[in-house]
Amino acid sequence: MDKNRVSVDQLALLYLLIVMGGKFLTLPSLLAGDVGHDSWLAVTFGFVWDGICLCFLLWAIKLNNASRLDISSILDKSLSKPVSKLLLAIFFVIFVLRTNILLSSCYKMFSVTFDVSTNWIVYVLPVAALAFFATVKGFNAVARTGQLLFALILIAVVALFISPLREAEFGALLPVGEAGWGKILLTSYTRSFWFSDYIFIYFVLDGIKIKKRVFAPMLISFGVGALLSILLNAVFVSLFGYLAPQFDMAMSKIGVFSAASTTNGRWDWLTLSIWLVSVFIKVVIFIFCAYKCIEKFVGKRFVKFNWIAASVVLLTLSLPMFVSTDALLDTVVKWGVIPFTLVQYVLPLLMPLLTKVAQRKTEVSGE
Amino acid sequence: MKISFDKFQKLWQGQDDFRVRKIVCGITLNAVCLDTMCDGVKVSDFVLQPLAYITEAKNIDEIEQKLAASTGVRRPPNFFAAIEDFTNGYTLVFDEKDNCIAVDTRTAVGRSVAEPPTSMVMRGPREGFVEDIKVNITLLRKRLKTPNFKIINLAVGKYTNTAVSVCYIEGIADKRIVDDIVQRLESVKTDGVLDSSYLARYLDVNKTFLFRRVGSTEKPDIAVGKMLEGRIAVISDGSPMVLTLPYLFVEDMQSPGDYYENSTMTTLSRSLRFVSVIASVLLPALYVCLQVYNYQIIPLRFLITVLNASEAIPFSPLTEMILVLIVFDILREANLRMPSAVGISLSLVGAIVLGDAAVQAGLLGAPAVMIGALSGIGLFTMPDNTLILSLLRLAVTFVGGVMGLLGVIVSTLTIIVYLASMQDYKTPFLAPFAPDIPEDRQDAVAQIPVPNMKKRPKSIPNENDNRRG
Repeated sequence: MDKNRVSVDQLALLYLLIVMGGKFLTLPSLLAGDVGHDSWLAVTFGFVWDGICLCFLLWAIKLNNASRLDISSILDKSLSKPVSKLLLAIFFVIFVLRTNILLSSCYKMFSVTFDVSTNWIVYVLPVAALAFFATVKGFNAVARTGQLLFALILIAVVALFISPLREAEFGALLPVGEAGWGKILLTSYTRSFWFSDYIFIYFVLDGIKIKKRVFAPMLISFGVGALLSILLNAVFVSLFGYLAPQFDMAMSKIGVFSAASTTNGRWDWLTLSIWLVSVFIKVVIFIFCAYKCIEKFVGKRFVKFNWIAASVVLLTLSLPMFVSTDALLDTVVKWGVIPFTLVQYVLPLLMPLLTKVAQRKTEVSGE
Repeated sequence: MKISFDKFQKLWQGQDDFRVRKIVCGITLNAVCLDTMCDGVKVSDFVLQPLAYITEAKNIDEIEQKLAASTGVRRPPNFFAAIEDFTNGYTLVFDEKDNCIAVDTRTAVGRSVAEPPTSMVMRGPREGFVEDIKVNITLLRKRLKTPNFKIINLAVGKYTNTAVSVCYIEGIADKRIVDDIVQRLESVKTDGVLDSSYLARYLDVNKTFLFRRVGSTEKPDIAVGKMLEGRIAVISDGSPMVLTLPYLFVEDMQSPGDYYENSTMTTLSRSLRFVSVIASVLLPALYVCLQVYNYQIIPLRFLITVLNASEAIPFSPLTEMILVLIVFDILREANLRMPSAVGISLSLVGAIVLGDAAVQAGLLGAPAVMIGALSGIGLFTMPDNTLILSLLRLAVTFVGGVMGLLGVIVSTLTIIVYLASMQDYKTPFLAPFAPDIPEDRQDAVAQIPVPNMKKRPKSIPNENDNRRG
């Protein structure tokens, strides 16, 4: 059995978990800082772009079903090896940066919300160990884990939402577009680093098992994920108004409204912990992809677990020890947004074409 | 095929139970048997008496025809097959030209069929497997009156030459998996097989050794039920435990009595088992990490009770819980090895005297003892994996105590990833939940009424998924 094979249904559930896993941490407060109560619009625009790109990527998946080419083969054959390596390097940087930002947000959540402060390395090592263990066991094991925990995580998210939803003053979202449509669109672009969660699919392209449908399950997942994220942003801004930019842990702050009184205990923390599982699943997948980036960059299939590649990934995870997350984010917005846009938003649009070209070249060369 | 009588005699000479009888009936014959393995009456009735009446035999073929009184007469193909038959209780008859006939004279010494102590049921059949492979196959055959019930016989173990039978239903079981199992058993190189659990280790494809990867049952009705779902049964002589393959994690949560109860009751009791297993592994860890790091999650009154109870305890919550869990494991281990009468006293001493004394002395807190005991009892709802779950419980508690909720989340995820990655004989261990196979959820934790189960489980590879055709 190919341990990296995954069905479309599994991929769809993982995608939904990933969408839910990353957007409920610091993003809502960052967006609220940029465009105020119109942050939900910025999220909506972000998802519109994501939706278009996802459709193209799904088309490419469908085209690739017969040949089962992996991302490096497609890029090598259609764009040349140097370009392929450059794109893989950009991918690696994205995965590493996003992992770092996710981990540092969780770190902050544990130290601020849960009152547990540890050293960064002590915190990162077990998570990295889990991610490398999952890499050894294969993407299929991660997908199955996602399937097993999906219902539980979804229930936790819904449980966290119910009480705040009743408390929210949605009138605070009016007038719509007050920050200016141009600014909202620009914010949506500058914060695009947080979106395009489908990029992990590039690295399991050759393992996707298509039985019947591709578009329906993936688009349903995307729709639910997008809806929940937009709703969370709207609820967050409705609850906290002008104070929203000050609360950088959206999910834990929203959860406060779920807790009735201390007599009953902070059960919102328990549901929050269950939701955190989705964040760790996202971290595991991104570390898996970063490891795969190195494998494909080197151009050699790692039959056994490669300690050097793992060490490189692990080294990059120590970044927040030297640079603050805010500084990292500023750098990404300033310098990274253009190259990142290339793989996040341009590459998916070209993927069907690139897949076709790669397939044709493969047929010609008789591989 | 020639089988040298001299060589054979030399091999067994000096053994007290080795018997040789020379008979002249036209040709000279030598009948040999192992006194301890043969039934004397059968030797007399099926071998010696018929031979005594023969006066003018010309060759061994004629002798073979005259020994028709026994149902089991055959010609061993080679020397090793002759030894195998001989040690299994067959009487061998040699002529002067080193031709050999094996006559079934096996003795039927052994335990009679009784209710197995490990799988007692309120309702349903009470027959259990015994140590005799022939009886065990009879118990299966009684329930599977079809020519499609097939048996492949093997002998495993250099010295024990243990008879092993691979049983399956042709047309239901996946033949490739049957072949795979037979191939694995044929390739076993070992001195001896004393129980089917020896074989289970060889049948574990990925050699995980952590979780049980091969099912076992002492009840023929359960074995047949599993075979009807496409599984393959492996019977080993000398063992009342019949192995079933492929094996799923949920099988350990299913009790033999589940199929004889109302499906709603079965669903409820299975859900209870499921919840108790999860609670058993996570409860001690959550108790420690909430007490140490996130006590706010605990409701205030409960927190006050816990704090009052553990105020004077000289250990940290983590040490206290680890101690409770280790003491529980020691008691369980001691209880298993004690005769049942002493075991009851030991349980009483452990549960009441030791626990109560520890709490009274202020060494352990009552909530910790209660959580430990609750978690320990819950483990027994999965009897095949109790030990490994107990170890996991210790590990998760330790990590949770050191790292808090992060530790509990990471260690739980690691366990799930590990379980999700396991796959033997094309069967994912966590099916039908991971991967999700909706059709198979009809008999996983929830159970639909048996008449509505029209399809065989998809998680177990089979050649015909329709239960009604």
